Amino acid sequence: MAARGSCPACGSAALVEDSHYAQQQLVCAACGCVLAEGLLTTTYAEEEHLREVAYSQSTGQKEQLSRCLQRGIRRVQDLCKVLQLPTVFEETAVSYVQRALQHPSFHLVSLEKKELLGGCCVFVTCRQHNWPLTMGTICSLLYAKQELFASVYLSLQKELELSVPALSLADLVKTHLNSFRLFQHAADIPAPFVENKEKVVARTMQIVELASETWLVTGRHPVPIVTAAAFLSWQSLQPAARLACTLARFCKLAGVDLPPPAHLRLKELLEILLRMASQLAWLRVFNLDKKTVVKHIGDLLQHRIFLLKSAFCPEDEEEQQCAAAPGEASPGSAGGAVQGGGCPSAGKRRPLLPPCLVNPRKRLRTAAPSASDSAVTGEEPISDGEIEQYLRGPEEIRAFRKAQAWL
Amino acid sequence: MDGSSLLEQYLERCDGQFKDDLSTSPQLFTPMSPYDVDFPIQTTEDVLFRSQFNQPKELPTDFSSVDLSFLPDITQDNKEQNLLEDGHEMQKDLVGSTSNEDSSILTDESSLAYPDATQATPEASGACPPLTPMAPMTPVTPASESSGIVPQLQNIVSTVNLACKLDLKNIALRARNAEYNPKRFAAVIMRIREPRTTALIFSSGKMVCTGAKSEEQSRLAARKYARVVQKLGFPAKFLDFKIQNMVGSCDVMFPIRLEGLVLTHQQFSSYEPELFPGLIYRMVKPRIVLLIFVSGKVVLTGAKERSEIYEAFESIYPILKGFKKAS
Repeated sequence: MAARGSCPACGSAALVEDSHYAQQQLVCAACGCVLAEGLLTTTYAEEEHLREVAYSQSTGQKEQLSRCLQRGIRRVQDLCKVLQLPTVFEETAVSYVQRALQHPSFHLVSLEKKELLGGCCVFVTCRQHNWPLTMGTICSLLYAKQELFASVYLSLQKELELSVPALSLADLVKTHLNSFRLFQHAADIPAPFVENKEKVVARTMQIVELASETWLVTGRHPVPIVTAAAFLSWQSLQPAARLACTLARFCKLAGVDLPPPAHLRLKELLEILLRMASQLAWLRVFNLDKKTVVKHIGDLLQHRIFLLKSAFCPEDEEEQQCAAAPGEASPGSAGGAVQGGGCPSAGKRRPLLPPCLVNPRKRLRTAAPSASDSAVTGEEPISDGEIEQYLRGPEEIRAFRKAQAWL
Repeated sequence: MDGSSLLEQYLERCDGQFKDDLSTSPQLFTPMSPYDVDFPIQTTEDVLFRSQFNQPKELPTDFSSVDLSFLPDITQDNKEQNLLEDGHEMQKDLVGSTSNEDSSILTDESSLAYPDATQATPEASGACPPLTPMAPMTPVTPASESSGIVPQLQNIVSTVNLACKLDLKNIALRARNAEYNPKRFAAVIMRIREPRTTALIFSSGKMVCTGAKSEEQSRLAARKYARVVQKLGFPAKFLDFKIQNMVGSCDVMFPIRLEGLVLTHQQFSSYEPELFPGLIYRMVKPRIVLLIFVSGKVVLTGAKERSEIYEAFESIYPILKGFKKAS
């Protein structure tokens, strides 16, 4: 039976598998040159049928690349199966993997990073189709370090010039809440804790929208915000039974991880809600605190547009007012609207600003370049004394040498 | 005629900046308010281009507050350059057409046919002030005035060739301000107090100087390091001093909606809150990377010249102002 390939000696394609004293040989029928003998077999099936495959035929020249590509494609397929993504995603991701591995800048990337390429391509594909997938999810599926994943993702985005749209929070809310276990009765979940999924999702969306309007979302990790919002909405649907439950316990019951920033996001959300509550006529009577405001979240969300306007003064109004007032001397204060000292209407309203501007951390600001600094020309004479202060004297060198010998 | 000559003025102003030409009388430079109206065309193009990749949930339909006059510079940059080169010999009319009534200037790029030379004003180039290293450049976008904020330089990285082989162990032994750990890094790390900088000195004689706040300080610091190496007995020279990177920062004094910015400027922005809290804006002209944060602080890096930083900031300021939340 003729085998594939051509004879290296005469170029003829007539290769025959012959046996010479029961040793299999691959021989050229034209010139008699023996191409191979006693070959390594590659598969059990082939061995069974006594058909050896030439090494030069079984592996290509770009062996390393094709193996990485195979691994990458397999990784993409597995991820798509686990995440239950549509088939079109798989095709797109596979094409990205192929493009990436063929791109010259990825040839010298370490194998560790190449392993992550499959996951990165799946991530990019999902984002391009507005499928809410967070990096945290992919990293946990790949058992990858997030810094490594981040560097591979950024270089992939740059080299292949992919435009990746931003993550949409609304979709993320729905997907994240899908993994919560509190929507069905189970043995370890007390009865009053079980809740209707649609109600929780709807209210969580409203709270997340409120958070993004009040600058709590920009620049922050999205998942802790969704977790905190889900917790608040779940609590507010049946406050009597659920106020005693803490965020940590809620996450444990729901079967999700508690991301560390979630506590801070919760605090910020409650602060915003308290400010809004102070503007609702029938709530001013109560002395609301962080716990009790949860009971009224429904009302607050219903009237949130009006409440936001009355509870927070607009930023530019604030700046104009505070510009007149003696502001901080340091150049680092952001627009004078930081302390909110010059805020109008009985000092109850504070400007609607991101938390980093409302509570600025005191940072040492380098002074603006003084006149003497700007007079430097770069060609001034350098005095010997100034240079000599940086040189060691002979005794010092000896002492240093001795000390070094000790180490 | 009025329409095309206003356009010519705008284009030759850009040309004037590139050519650094002083010749015209400066009082002919008038800010072009009609340029405010060229947004809608660009926005629809952008939206269509990006619609295949995302369907933005809340796309701001009213773009009148968003100043996208920066965008034409990027996409039609080549066109403008070619036309400038073609029409360079033609005399441009600056005097007659300062009428601000004409409002539809950039509606059709193809109607930019350079007409027969009507007026013969020899000095036709734009009336822009020259580019000096210390003075901030006037903005390219004529629609808005200068922002009044000057980015402050925070770090300058420069390299110089000392042109002699160095014995790093010897240097580390005989200099007080040097540290050398060959297992960690193959260079001596030397610091001086005035100007406060750090230098990496390699055995090949090449040196990297970082930490200076201005180009002149960086040069002075590099010379001081070279002098130290000279005093240690090596025949150090000072060749090919070059500024490699400049970093500046400033504050626009209002919070910025990064999510909105990444929607409208998707080709240039990368905003991944899971990775980094700021938005990474890769400006094409000048080639600068800006880190924009929600607090309004902006970091500009990747410049080789101070003017690039100023120009980049003046370009981004109108865009950011468009995202100032007007409540």
